[in-house]
Amino acid sequence: MHEDWDDERLMEALAGALRERQAVPPWFTDTASSAYAWHSIDAELAQLTYDSSRDHELSASLRSEAASIRALTFTSAHLSVELEIAESSLVGQILPPRDGTVEVHTRAGLTMAVPVDEIGCFAIEPIPPSPFRLQCRTRDGTDVVTGWVTL
Amino acid sequence: MSDDPSVATLVARASGSDQAAWDELVERYSPLVWSICRRYRLSQHDIEDVGQNVWLRLVEQIGNLREPAALPGWLATTTQRECLRARQRLDRLVPVPDELTPALDDAEIEQEIVLAERNAALRAAFAELPPRCRQLLSMLLADPPQSYAQISVILEIRVGSIGPQRARCLRQLRRSGHLAAVIGGDSEGAAAGHRGGEPRA
Repeated sequence: MHEDWDDERLMEALAGALRERQAVPPWFTDTASSAYAWHSIDAELAQLTYDSSRDHELSASLRSEAASIRALTFTSAHLSVELEIAESSLVGQILPPRDGTVEVHTRAGLTMAVPVDEIGCFAIEPIPPSPFRLQCRTRDGTDVVTGWVTL
Repeated sequence: MSDDPSVATLVARASGSDQAAWDELVERYSPLVWSICRRYRLSQHDIEDVGQNVWLRLVEQIGNLREPAALPGWLATTTQRECLRARQRLDRLVPVPDELTPALDDAEIEQEIVLAERNAALRAAFAELPPRCRQLLSMLLADPPQSYAQISVILEIRVGSIGPQRARCLRQLRRSGHLAAVIGGDSEGAAAGHRGGEPRA
């Protein structure tokens, strides 16, 4: 185990390590660095708890949506967000139902906001480019953001 | 395991609110994410997506990693998953036979992780060398390599002392705490070997 590296081996390894870092383009590390902006967000995170494209069997037995519709559920301590994504539309419902607004965030930042009606329903059109996430602010002050959605 | 900001320390600081710690993690491990992406024959656009998804996921998960020191493993696994997903999206458009886009097997991923940790340690150790040493070693490692005559002129040292100075710089590099666990030598860290057995968060 205690195999000391001689100078040649060390030089070679060092060359490889420096080359490896130089090979990474700046835009790649810039994107990684700016992802941290999401860390300071105050909203509570809603985790993906159901995905029809992943949970096939569950979907077949418990739900009867058409195959072309993707259903997702995000759950946090205070509310859950159900999404149904068809070819050109995205509809959702906040449960338990309450009104407020839903903001759409993409990699470009906040792109749009739509109203949520009193039974918790909202519609987003067109479907945002992936990846996107939704921030739900309800009238009672609950602020929840979903995980990132990639369609 | 290592004595100065270890992965676990950086993870802990970044789970608080510390952009510098986050950027240090990016600095250390973006080559790992990048090199895995490169193995999946993705377009630049897809690589950009994968990279972003991996780091956004880490932002979400950084406070919940079960084993902060195993971050490189988490990154490798997550990157691979995102690459496969991107590949599948592409293949739906233009089907490609499976054998052309094999998933990396566990041994290959493990190899990538070990190499990434070793390289990150080497770069960290190199960055702490005195400027003269960094300059000399960089010139010796340049591609194409610079001749001793050129180096002698630029660094204003005699040709005859380049060899001994190189040896001195490498001795100093080898003594770095960063490398103790990586290349063996005078520290006990080497006996621990790499951290292959650690669970992934």
